[in-house]
Amino acid sequence: MSQEKIAKEMFLPAEVDATKSEEISKPSLNYWQDAWLRVKKNKGAIVSMVILVLLTIMALVGPLLTNYGIDQQNIKHNNLPPRIPVLEKVSWLPFDGELTRKNGDVYNAYEMKNVDNYYWLGTDSLGRDIFTRLWKGTQVSLYIAFLAAAIDMVIGVLYGAISGFVGGRTDNFMQRITEILVGIPNLIVVILMIIVMDPGILSITIALTITGWVGMARVIRAQVLKLKNQEYVLAARTLGLSNGKIISKHLVPNLAGVIIINTMFTIPNAIFFEAFLSFIGLGLQPPLASLGTLIDDGFKVLQLYPYQMIIPAIVISLIMICFNMVADGLRDALDPKMRD
Amino acid sequence: MAKYLTQRFVYMVITLFLIASLTFFLMKIIPGTPFSNASKLSEAQLSIMIDKYGLDEPVPVQYANYLLNLLKGDLGVSFQFNNVGVTDIIVNSLGPSATLGALAILFGTFFGIILGVISALKQNTWVDYSSTFIAVLGKSIPSFVFAGLLQYYVGVKLGWFPVAFWRGPEYMVLPTIALAMFPLATASRFVRTEMIEVMESDYITLAKAKGASWFEIAFKHALRNALIPVVTVLGPLVVSLMTGSLVIEKIFGIPGIGEQFVKSITINDYPVIMGTTLLFAALFVVVILIVDLLYGVIDPRIRLAGGKK
Amino acid sequence: MKKSKYFLLLSLMLVISSFLAACGGGDDAGKDKEGADNTAAVQELKMLESTAIPSMDSVMAQDTVSFTTLNNVNEGLYRLDPNQEVVEGVADGEPTISEDGTVYTFKLKDAKWSNGEPVTANDFVYAWQRAIDPENASPYGPYMMDGKIKGAAEITAAAAEKKEYDLSTLGVKAVDDKTLEVTLERPIPYFKSLMAFPTFYPQNQKFVEEQGENFGLKAENVLYNGPFVLSEWDGSTDEEWVYAKNTEYWDADTVKLEKLTWNVLKESQAAANAFETGEVDITGKLSSDVVPQYEGDERLLNWLEPTIFWLKMNQKNNPALKNVNIRKAIAQAINKQDFVDGVLANGSIVANYAVPNEFVKNDETGEDFRSINGNELLPYNVDEAKKSWEAGLAELGTDSVEVRYLGDDTESAKKAAEYVKNQLETNLPGIKVTVESVPFSVRLDRENAQDYDLQMAGWGPDYLDPMTFSDLWLTGGGNNKMDYSNEKYDQLVKDAQTTLAQSPVERYEALAEAEKILLEEDAAIAPLYQRSSNLLVSEKVENFTYHLVGPEYSFKWTSVK
Repeated sequence: MSQEKIAKEMFLPAEVDATKSEEISKPSLNYWQDAWLRVKKNKGAIVSMVILVLLTIMALVGPLLTNYGIDQQNIKHNNLPPRIPVLEKVSWLPFDGELTRKNGDVYNAYEMKNVDNYYWLGTDSLGRDIFTRLWKGTQVSLYIAFLAAAIDMVIGVLYGAISGFVGGRTDNFMQRITEILVGIPNLIVVILMIIVMDPGILSITIALTITGWVGMARVIRAQVLKLKNQEYVLAARTLGLSNGKIISKHLVPNLAGVIIINTMFTIPNAIFFEAFLSFIGLGLQPPLASLGTLIDDGFKVLQLYPYQMIIPAIVISLIMICFNMVADGLRDALDPKMRD
Repeated sequence: MAKYLTQRFVYMVITLFLIASLTFFLMKIIPGTPFSNASKLSEAQLSIMIDKYGLDEPVPVQYANYLLNLLKGDLGVSFQFNNVGVTDIIVNSLGPSATLGALAILFGTFFGIILGVISALKQNTWVDYSSTFIAVLGKSIPSFVFAGLLQYYVGVKLGWFPVAFWRGPEYMVLPTIALAMFPLATASRFVRTEMIEVMESDYITLAKAKGASWFEIAFKHALRNALIPVVTVLGPLVVSLMTGSLVIEKIFGIPGIGEQFVKSITINDYPVIMGTTLLFAALFVVVILIVDLLYGVIDPRIRLAGGKK
Repeated sequence: MKKSKYFLLLSLMLVISSFLAACGGGDDAGKDKEGADNTAAVQELKMLESTAIPSMDSVMAQDTVSFTTLNNVNEGLYRLDPNQEVVEGVADGEPTISEDGTVYTFKLKDAKWSNGEPVTANDFVYAWQRAIDPENASPYGPYMMDGKIKGAAEITAAAAEKKEYDLSTLGVKAVDDKTLEVTLERPIPYFKSLMAFPTFYPQNQKFVEEQGENFGLKAENVLYNGPFVLSEWDGSTDEEWVYAKNTEYWDADTVKLEKLTWNVLKESQAAANAFETGEVDITGKLSSDVVPQYEGDERLLNWLEPTIFWLKMNQKNNPALKNVNIRKAIAQAINKQDFVDGVLANGSIVANYAVPNEFVKNDETGEDFRSINGNELLPYNVDEAKKSWEAGLAELGTDSVEVRYLGDDTESAKKAAEYVKNQLETNLPGIKVTVESVPFSVRLDRENAQDYDLQMAGWGPDYLDPMTFSDLWLTGGGNNKMDYSNEKYDQLVKDAQTTLAQSPVERYEALAEAEKILLEEDAAIAPLYQRSSNLLVSEKVENFTYHLVGPEYSFKWTSVK
């Protein structure tokens, strides 16, 4: 290795200015601003957020974009595949109104049934427009999922944090309560709730949350148990910080990652459980649709009319993937240990 | 430790007693009739049947009888199956469900952990994104869809594995894969999150500085600490998978307990509902205990309540 | 501590590797078996069922799977053949019937139980007494016997009031070992076909008492006297069971099939998949979603079941449904043709009647019951519906009606609910239909408590006679449960049960007249469709036999090509 010679002239005495030593060179950012900065760097998360926003907008305005109502039935037009003007001319796109029989024959369902209308995403077995129902279903699913996740989060985090933080007898007692709650299969609880209240979106959501928050509480408790013995918490305590402050300033930011991940998983769970309820005849009251019920219906005719399941399945997967990407991005951003 | 265990055991018994009582009273307020041909019965017949099954006795008497029988280990007799004891039903249908559940958990967590570790170490690369994609797909496709696709494409089209029934190892492959997607996704997500956090900590930096190999750091030092939330989440999942997945059992024609249980709920087969609930609860509290004990094993920093004394 | 952790990891790896090894091994096993199948003995078949067998005690059985199994491994006085005709079972020839048609005397064949004992008249007396015995609380016994076998209703009534009763008062007597005498409450023209129903099967007293609580629990706890025996069945939770030919059966020469293996597979698509791969030769009944895939396929077997689905209109709670015009409007406002063609698409047909088509023929004339009234009672007609609707609303003095709709529990229940709601709301201005979906047991309870407005319900017959449909709507009848009452209707049905019992032509006419009153005059129910059954049967199966009442299938005449 060749070394350059360091000449004495290259050195300058440092100017020591007491006023500047306290100056912060980076812009002053609070916790959330800082987190946002870091989220912005994660392209996947940003794209996913945009997609989620778009999906939410579509869920709200989508049903209004067609001339068909969500319960407008036309049996003569049932089980038609997707057909979109202009795009139908592009042969490699699946929007030409063609279906394949089991023996491999391809036929145009619209011509066979003499239909001139365009159903962008096809129709179901009752001849209802899938485009309209898809977005209505997305709307219902998102609503149930958000509501359930929010309730789960609030109850679960509070319960878990208190249980883990206070510890001792309280913890023991609170844990036994959750064990009892989880020990009773939620199907029984759900059936009871639906029978006591009128069947509908709200009763399903409430039924979902009655036992749903326990998982969150358990994860939070475990995390709190781990965190509360760590040095910085001990230090904070030694410095005389109150319990409330310790929880809000030290524990919650450290828990944010786990909370978000868990919430992101509550969302698909809520959507699926709702679909499962429809599956055993306790779900949404017909003719209301959700993504779960659409997939459930479509699955039954998968081999004949695959589009009836694939379309809602794509939307549900898209929602899930985006939620997870956003969740990962947020988790990385919210972790105080990862500040630059 | 012994004291802690005794204490926990007492709690477990109390918990089970409370669950048993709660289910009993839930059964009393749940509407519906347990007699599946009730619409064909005249009032006289109905009253005879209610009498025979002791449903006309005062609730406290029924409750006392139920608890007494429970102490004797007698869970009662099913309504839907003539003269068949609930214990027999549970014993016979738990086997396939538990086998399937155990396979799915092992298979799922094993690959889930590997996937999680890899994606944490290669954070924000295509490896991370594709493993996230796999995990998310596993959670976002309803299991009945996945099971149906597996059955049709792998079973019917490719003919690699039998499409249904439960007769031997080759019959277990498709349902196991279908059921394993969920634990796989769950484990990989949690492991990833935790690993990233752990990899930032000082002792990993130290290990790196000391020149420990990649493998050693990931699996010996980091993974251990990353497993806590995974164990917490998987504990209850073990119970729910071992006690059967209704959907998978239905599609693959597996004689499991999940299907049995849901059916008993929809037809109000009280003894089966109560017996199965109690079994689920018992399994659950045991798993919770094991999970709590595992915390100490995995992370010595956590001391059990009894340990302090 | 450390050791145990490695042990954990090690055992995990071990289990996974053994699992993978098992998969590998599994492949070979699969191939071996396929090879074996090609050369296997010919007379073996595999079939699917939707649930396991709940009961093998003929007295306690109450579901089609139990009835079907009992029908193949046991036998009553008569059984149904592939043409749905009543043929001899244990009974030897035709019974002697008393002048007034109430006393039947049956001669028995030299049939044997699988333990070698002969089937005697006393076996019938014992089983029937068990079936009516309130101690056993049989779910089907009193339903099948009350009002038919002399003394049955009295025993049930006495027990319900907690009074003394005497089982020997039941009208069944063993004159000697081979002669059975049955006394009826009133003449029953279809009594012989009733004797094919499993509730009336014989039971060997000694065996049943020996087995005690274990009777009927497993294959070895049952005695057989039918074409087959259950060679493998591990109880009600067993989802695989096997019939083997019964060499002791009196007509064993007719029975060709050596072995029939049953498996439970509920999902229709999964069943079709198993059929495609050759895992099974015959599927169970398929849901309507799967059927269109096999349109035009010769392996699809389709027949019309005598099961009608209708909307019951409960007159107890909702004042609007007490109005006959409103009921007529509802009944005529639903396009049934579109529903069966477009939505069900499984061969089901429109029902404009309350007694099914292709169900029963008149003994004397040989004509189908439906030929009297035809298929145009209360048909779909929007104009008529609207007219009745307005008239009804005017009578009620309102312009809107709200009704609750309670769904059925078939596979197409949800679609039916959505369709009916949409049709009614489209065609009848001012109606609001709220669909309520509840679990099976709750639905039963609601029906019993008459806590519904409209209920989609299906009814399948228990014996080959229009009476199984007609007596549903008698005032206070067991299955009425919608407060329908019409004196003329009651009178016509009562006449058919009593004075006309022995004159088939007039009897059918009376029942047809009653049907007209029920639908055209009162619009008490709104019939929608008559269901069709579909299953896949491999080309190698010959003489696959299904039935319209009671047990679903017989394999006595089935063979492999």
